[in-house]
Amino acid sequence: MKNGIWFLKGVRKGVKTEKFPRSEPVEIARWSTEITGSGEANCPTDAITNGKWDMTKCIFCRRCLPGYEPTGKHEIFTVGEKMHQFRKSFFIYPLDSGACGACNTELHALTAPQYDMHRLGIFFTNTPRHADAIAVMGVWTEGMEEPLKRAYDAMSDPKMIILMGACAISGGIIGEGALKSGEYNVAIAGCPPNPYTILAALIRARGD
Amino acid sequence: MYWYEEGKPDGRFIGNTKKYSIYGSHYNSTIEVVHEKPPERKPEEFIFAYGPSTGGLMESVGLDILTPGEKITSISVDPTYKLRKIKVTGMGIQDALLRIERINGFHSASHAICFLRAVEDALQIEVPEEVQFNRIAQIEAERIRSHLLVIQKLAESAGFGVPVNQLSMIREKVSRIIGTQCGHRYFFAVNEIGKSRFMIDKLQEKLLEVIGEFRMISEGLMESKLFLNRLQNNGINRDPESTGPAARGAGIRHDARNELPVLPYEQLDYFPIVRDEGDAFSRFMIRSDEIFQSYDIIKNIHASKSIERLDYDLQKMGGTGMARIESPSGDLFYSVEIEKGNVVDIGMISPSWRNVLSFRRSMEGNIFTDFHFNWESFGIWISELGVDLS
Amino acid sequence: MISWLFLAPFAVSVAVSIWNRKAGYVALAVSSAIILAGSFIHFDYIDSFVVIASLVWIFSSWFSVSYGEKYGRWLAPMFGSTIFGMVVILLSRNYLEFLAGWETMSISSYVLIAMNRKNDYPPFVFMAFSELSTVLIVAGAIYSFYLTGGTTIAFTKVDSVIPLVLFTLGALVKMGMVPFMISEWLPIAHGNAPANGSAILSATMTLMGVFGIVRLMLLSPLSQVFGVIVIAIGVLSVIFASLFAYVSEHAKMLAGFSTIENNGAILAAIGFYMIAQTAILRDFSLVVIVIFSLSHSLSKTGLFLGIGASGKEHFLDEGLSSSRFSRIGEVLSTASLSGLFPTIGGLGTWMILEMFFMGASFLGYLGIVSIIAGSLIAIGEGFATAAMMKAFVFTQLRNGKARGMKNEHAVVFSIGVILILLFILSPLFVGPEFLGGLPSVFVFNGFTIQSRFAAADFGLVSPDYVFGLLAVFSLATYAIFRKPDTRSVPVWRGGREFTEDYTPYAFSNNIRLMLKKILRPGIGERSQYMAISDGFWAFMIILTRSYRKVAKGFTLGFMNSSIRWYMIYMILAFMIVLLLAILI
Ligand code: SF4
Ligand code: SF4
Repeated sequence: MKNGIWFLKGVRKGVKTEKFPRSEPVEIARWSTEITGSGEANCPTDAITNGKWDMTKCIFCRRCLPGYEPTGKHEIFTVGEKMHQFRKSFFIYPLDSGACGACNTELHALTAPQYDMHRLGIFFTNTPRHADAIAVMGVWTEGMEEPLKRAYDAMSDPKMIILMGACAISGGIIGEGALKSGEYNVAIAGCPPNPYTILAALIRARGD
Repeated sequence: MYWYEEGKPDGRFIGNTKKYSIYGSHYNSTIEVVHEKPPERKPEEFIFAYGPSTGGLMESVGLDILTPGEKITSISVDPTYKLRKIKVTGMGIQDALLRIERINGFHSASHAICFLRAVEDALQIEVPEEVQFNRIAQIEAERIRSHLLVIQKLAESAGFGVPVNQLSMIREKVSRIIGTQCGHRYFFAVNEIGKSRFMIDKLQEKLLEVIGEFRMISEGLMESKLFLNRLQNNGINRDPESTGPAARGAGIRHDARNELPVLPYEQLDYFPIVRDEGDAFSRFMIRSDEIFQSYDIIKNIHASKSIERLDYDLQKMGGTGMARIESPSGDLFYSVEIEKGNVVDIGMISPSWRNVLSFRRSMEGNIFTDFHFNWESFGIWISELGVDLS
Repeated sequence: MISWLFLAPFAVSVAVSIWNRKAGYVALAVSSAIILAGSFIHFDYIDSFVVIASLVWIFSSWFSVSYGEKYGRWLAPMFGSTIFGMVVILLSRNYLEFLAGWETMSISSYVLIAMNRKNDYPPFVFMAFSELSTVLIVAGAIYSFYLTGGTTIAFTKVDSVIPLVLFTLGALVKMGMVPFMISEWLPIAHGNAPANGSAILSATMTLMGVFGIVRLMLLSPLSQVFGVIVIAIGVLSVIFASLFAYVSEHAKMLAGFSTIENNGAILAAIGFYMIAQTAILRDFSLVVIVIFSLSHSLSKTGLFLGIGASGKEHFLDEGLSSSRFSRIGEVLSTASLSGLFPTIGGLGTWMILEMFFMGASFLGYLGIVSIIAGSLIAIGEGFATAAMMKAFVFTQLRNGKARGMKNEHAVVFSIGVILILLFILSPLFVGPEFLGGLPSVFVFNGFTIQSRFAAADFGLVSPDYVFGLLAVFSLATYAIFRKPDTRSVPVWRGGREFTEDYTPYAFSNNIRLMLKKILRPGIGERSQYMAISDGFWAFMIILTRSYRKVAKGFTLGFMNSSIRWYMIYMILAFMIVLLLAILI
C-alpha cells in the first residue's frame, strides 16, 4: 500500500457516521444519563434532595443505588438564550480550567466519525479570537482564572459560554465551579458528559 | 509493607512524594533533590510562549520555548496553571477514591487501582485473584485507549486526515466497550477494595474487531514515508530514568508490570517490549506493539462470571502501604497511611513528572515543527502533574 | 566664476550659526534653496547632483532647528561647514578645488562625529579612512596633471584610465564600499554622529563620491575591465551591506549599512556605463545613476531623521513617542529604500534592474556579468526590505504614539510626501528619449518611462498611472465601504499577559543563524545548526572570512599610532591644499 491510498482506505470503510440527532443514540454508557428514583440517597455531592435529582451536581458515583437508577436519557443540559446566528457555523474554543482529562477527551471525541460534528457545522478553533463559544471544562483554578477572562474578552460578540461537566458547573467533588451561575449560557451535566449529550446541547444552544 | 521496604537508595529513582524518595522497591525519608538546569538565556534568544490555553494542546499548560529562531534551546513546562488542590486526608477510603479517580480521568483505572493496592497493602487485605485479573483487564483496556489517543495525536500532527479519523473511530469504540462493560466510559465508581464492577466476559471478543482495524491502520502508517520522516530522529530520549513507553522506546527495560507483583502479570506470561532508537518513532512503535500486547493479556485472562463480593470492616483497620503499577504512560506510585479506616497521609508520583523531564531533555536542539510530535509521543497528562494532593 | 557666488550664503550661514544655532540652520536652509534654484539656470547633467544635495540640506537643516541642543554650540557650525565643503566640491572645476572641498568636508565631519562619541574609535576610524581617500585622490590628480604635460589641474579629458581608477578608489573608501566595507567603518562613523549629521554624511557625503566618479568618468576613456571590477565591487557591497544592515542592532548603523548598499547599486550602474557599448544604454545608465542617487539621498535623509526623531540609537533604547506623521514619513522613506512603489525608490530599483536585464540581452558575453549583477542586486533589495521593516517597526511602531506634530515629525513627513511627489513627477526628469505611451490602453504619450534598447521597448512603467490607480482604487474603496468598523482586542497569547519578547535581535536572527559563520562565529554552541549546503553561500563565506581578516589587520595597522599624529597630519594636509589652491 502506498501513501496516496489512504484516501481509498477511507472510502472503503464506508460511512460510519450515525444518524444522531435524527435518531436515538446507538449506545450510551448508563452512568452518564439522567437519574431518577426515590428514597434515601447517601449522595456525596448533595445532588439529591427530597427525591429530586440535580444534574449539575451529580458526579455519577452510584452511591444512590439501589433507590436511584439511570434512565438512559441523554438530554441532561440546560440552555439559556439560544443563538440562531450560529446555525450554519459554530466555532468552539475548548478551555481547560482545571479538568481531570476525561471531559477533554469526551469533547475531543465529537470529531470521531460516529458523531462527526463537522457535518452539523460545528468546529473547534485554536484561538478564542475566532470562537463563537467557549467550552469550559474543569473546576475553578487560580492560574486559569485570568486566561479564562482573557479568552472571553478576546472573543467577538455575539458570544456564548458553555460549561461542561460537573466540575465546571458546580465544582463536582473536586472544588468550586469555574464560573458563577448566571455567567454562562449552557451547562452540560455529566462526569464527564457523554458525547451525545454534548452534541445535543450544542445543537440546542444554537436553536435547532 | 509487602512490595516496599525502607532502605538505602536502591534501584531506579521513581520520584519524590512529600515525605519520601521512592526507588524501585525501596523508600527513603531523605528527599533526593532533582536538579533541573535553569535555562540560561543568550541575547539572541527569546521566549516563545505557548499556552497555557491554546487549541493545539488538550490541557492547560504553560510552555516557554527558548529559541534563537528555529532551533529550540530549551523548553520549560509549567503545569501549575490548572493546579487543583485535592484533599483526601481525613476521609474514608471510598470518599478518597472518588477524588483519586478524578486526578487523571483518562487514566482513572490506573490511579484508582494503584491507590487501592496501596490501601490493601496497608490494611494487609488479600484480594481474590479474579479481582486482580479483572483489574489487569481494566488497566490494559485503558492502555489500549490511551495509546490509541497518542497515535491519533501523532497522525494529527502530521496532518493525516484519514488515519486520524479512523483512530478516532476505534478509540470511541473502545470507550463504548468500556462503557457497556462497567456502565461508565472512564471507570469512575467501578473499583472498590477487593471488588470490581467491570465485567470481563465478552471483553476480548468485543476488542477483537478494534484490534483488527488498528492493525490495518498501524501498518498503513508504518508504510508512510512522510509519517516516519516526521518521527524518526525526532526527540531522541536517552534519559536513563525514563519511564513507560518513553523508557522502553529508548532501550530501557523499565516496566512496573514485571518489576513488582502488585498485580499478577507474571501469571499471564508478560514480558516488556523494548526498542533501541529512543526517538518519537520508537515511542510510536512501542505503543503500537503494546496495543496488541494488551489485547493478548486480556485474552489470557479467563473470565470468571461472578466476583464474590467480600465486605471488609474498614473502620477498625490501619497501616501504611505503598504500590507502584504501570499506567499507560509509565510508573504510577501511591503511598497511603490509614488510621481507623481513614486516610491520614497520601503520596503520589505520576509518570508525567518523569516524562516531562525526559521530554524537556529530548527537545533541546530540535526545531519548532518537531514540537507537537515529540510532546504527544510522551503521553504527558497535566492533570496528574498539576495537582496538589493532600 | 559666477557660480562661486553661491558659496557666499553658506559661508555667512556658518558664521551666523556660531552666533545663533537656529538662525544658522535657517540660513543654511535658505542658502540651499538658493543654490537649488540657481542650478536650473544652465541645467546640465552634473547639476542633478546639486539638486539632490540641496534638497537633502534643506530638509536636514530644517530638522536641525529643533534638534540637537544636547550636542552644544559647535554642532551647528560643523554641520554648516561640512555642507560648505560639499558645495565647494559641487562647484569645483579642478582637482585642487575639489580637494579643498573634500578636506573641508572631511575635517568638519570628523568633529561632527566626535561630538556624539562615547569612545574615540568612531571619529578616529572615520578620519583614517578619509585621509586614505584623500591620498588616493591626490595621486589621481597628480597623474592627470602629469598626463596633460603639466599644463593644467583642471578636470580635462585625458587618454588614460589611470586617473579615473585612482580617483574612483579614493571615492570608494569614502563611500565605505567593499573592500573597505568589511571593517564596517562607515556605519560605525555615520551611526555615531548626531542624527542630522548622519543624514548629511550618509545622504550627501557619499553622493560627493558618486559625483566625483561620474564627473571624471565622463572625461575618461572607458575600460571594460575596470567597468566589470566596479560592478563587482558594487554588487558585493549591495549583498553584504544589506545583510549586515538586516542583522544590525543599532538603528543608525543599520541605516549606515543601507547607505553602503545603495551606493553599491549606484556604483554598479556606473560600472554598467563603462561596459555598455551603445549610446542609448549609456544614457539609460546615466538616468539610473541620477534617479537612484536622488531616491537614496532623500529616503536616507528621511530614515536618519526619522530615527533621530525617535530618540533611539540602539533598537532597544528607550525611545521618544512617535506620531502619525513621523510614522507615515518613515514608512514612505523605508518603502523607498526597499524599492517599493509609489515612491521614487521604487522607480530607481525598477530602472536599475531593467538596466541590468537589458544588458543581459544586449551586451554579448558581458551579458553574463549583467545578469549576475542584476540578480544579486535583486537579492540585496530583498534583504534591504527586511532590514527596512525592522528599522521602521523598532523605531516607530514600537515607540508609543502621541498626538500632535513636532517639528522633527513634520520634516520626516514632508520627506515622505516629496518621495511620492518625485515619483509622480519622475517622467519630467528622465528625458524624452525614454518616455512613451500606450494610447491603445489610454496611457497617453509622455506618461510611461521605458527602458529601451535601440528603438524597441524593453519594459515600461507609468508612475502617474501607478499612483493614479492606487489612489483611485483606495478612494473608491473608501467611498463605498467607508472607514471599516474596527474592534481592538488585546493580543491573544495563550491566555497570558502580552509582553514584548520578540526583540529586534530575534527579528533578524534567521539570517544570523544562516550566516553565522560570517557574522558572529560565537553564536549558539549549544546546538548544531544546519550545514550550509548551498554552494553560493559557502563560497561567499570563504570570501568574506578572508576579507575580514585582511581588513581587520589593515584597520588595526593603519590606526594604531597615536591621535596626535593624525591631527598634525590633517592640519598639514589642509594647509598644503589651501596653499596650492591660492597659488594656482
Ligand atoms: S450518582 Fe452519586 S452524585 Fe449522582 S446522585 Fe447518585 S449519589 Fe449523587
Ligand atoms: S466533570 Fe468529571 S470528568 Fe469532567 S473534569 Fe470534572 S471530574 Fe473530570
